Amino acid sequence: MRRKASLVLLACAVFCAALAPLMRWYAFPRLARIPANQYQDMVLEAKGATLLDYGSLHARKVSKVTIVQTLKGNVEAAKKIEKTAGRPVVVWDSLSYVQGPDGKMVSRVPERYIFDAHSQDPVHATGEMVDGDPVTRQGIEFKWPFLTQKRDYEYFDAQTRTTGPIHYKGTQTFRGLKVYYFEQTIPWTKVPMPKTMPVQGITPETVARTGTTRWYSTVRRFWVEPVTGAPVYGEELHQEELRGGTLLGGRAKVTAFAGDVKMREDYIEHTVALVKHNRTLVLTLTSYVPWGSLAAGLLLLALALYLEARARRPQDPTPTQATEPEPVSA
Amino acid sequence: MRALIAAATGLALALALVLAMTAMGTPSGRTSPEPLLSTVPSHP
Repeated sequence: MRRKASLVLLACAVFCAALAPLMRWYAFPRLARIPANQYQDMVLEAKGATLLDYGSLHARKVSKVTIVQTLKGNVEAAKKIEKTAGRPVVVWDSLSYVQGPDGKMVSRVPERYIFDAHSQDPVHATGEMVDGDPVTRQGIEFKWPFLTQKRDYEYFDAQTRTTGPIHYKGTQTFRGLKVYYFEQTIPWTKVPMPKTMPVQGITPETVARTGTTRWYSTVRRFWVEPVTGAPVYGEELHQEELRGGTLLGGRAKVTAFAGDVKMREDYIEHTVALVKHNRTLVLTLTSYVPWGSLAAGLLLLALALYLEARARRPQDPTPTQATEPEPVSA
Repeated sequence: MRALIAAATGLALALALVLAMTAMGTPSGRTSPEPLLSTVPSHP
């Protein structure tokens, strides 16, 4: 009976011990994925910002500029690209809609971002674009990979359409979560005019004819929860200028936008709650189940060996029957 | 020999469980009908 029980315990021990690495290195990369149908919006605000008045072409202080950023997973496009890419793909159609204090549109920049659902590596396919311009992204955008490391990453900047390093600057605590702080500085760079301008009748082509160019600089900061790779907070010290040309009436440059863009408070709370929930799911695959099953496996193995040892212990010696000596015959 | 069979059974069950879980995968769902926003939402 004991030997049978020890064999069952041994089978359970091997099951648990095998489950640990299988869950961490086989199941985790296949199960931890960005959902293809994700839909997410985010509101960022720049209070006390400087904004160009396109009527007078003079910069003025405004109470607030609001940026509404929407990400929408395009499932049909993802399935189509997956067939050729041979790996799970997420296609995000996004829109960054900038609105002035009067509620009028300042700019609207659509993007299509295609990436690997687990590793976040960019996937290149037709349709990848920023504001209608085809791009070939390198590095990450919007989100870091699962199990983010304490190192610099390559981050794609949509304004310049280039990729540059975003530096790991330390570990901090943000609203009870351990986060990695990253920072990227984009130096003053000439960038294209948005395809959709805030004044009707003005197009990037008409501006280009005046010789006026658009320049941009930013300091981008992200606080990233390392298990999920999700930024829980972000800020951008964003500056834009129009430089040269006849449009500025002899001035060398004019500020088009300057402000410290921050996430709105209710969105910070929502994001932190969402990330805390998703963190538990990812930890289940990477930590709770692997370590738990490994510990259970060792415990069961010890129990199986103990029962086996007891089953093999020699029994108490049984009394031997006294045999009568046989008569010796000559 | 019986110990080997027991260990192999445990290993096979673990493999079967993980393979079944990953084969089911994550549902891709459908594209959200929600639009890309051009108004400021009042709450998340």
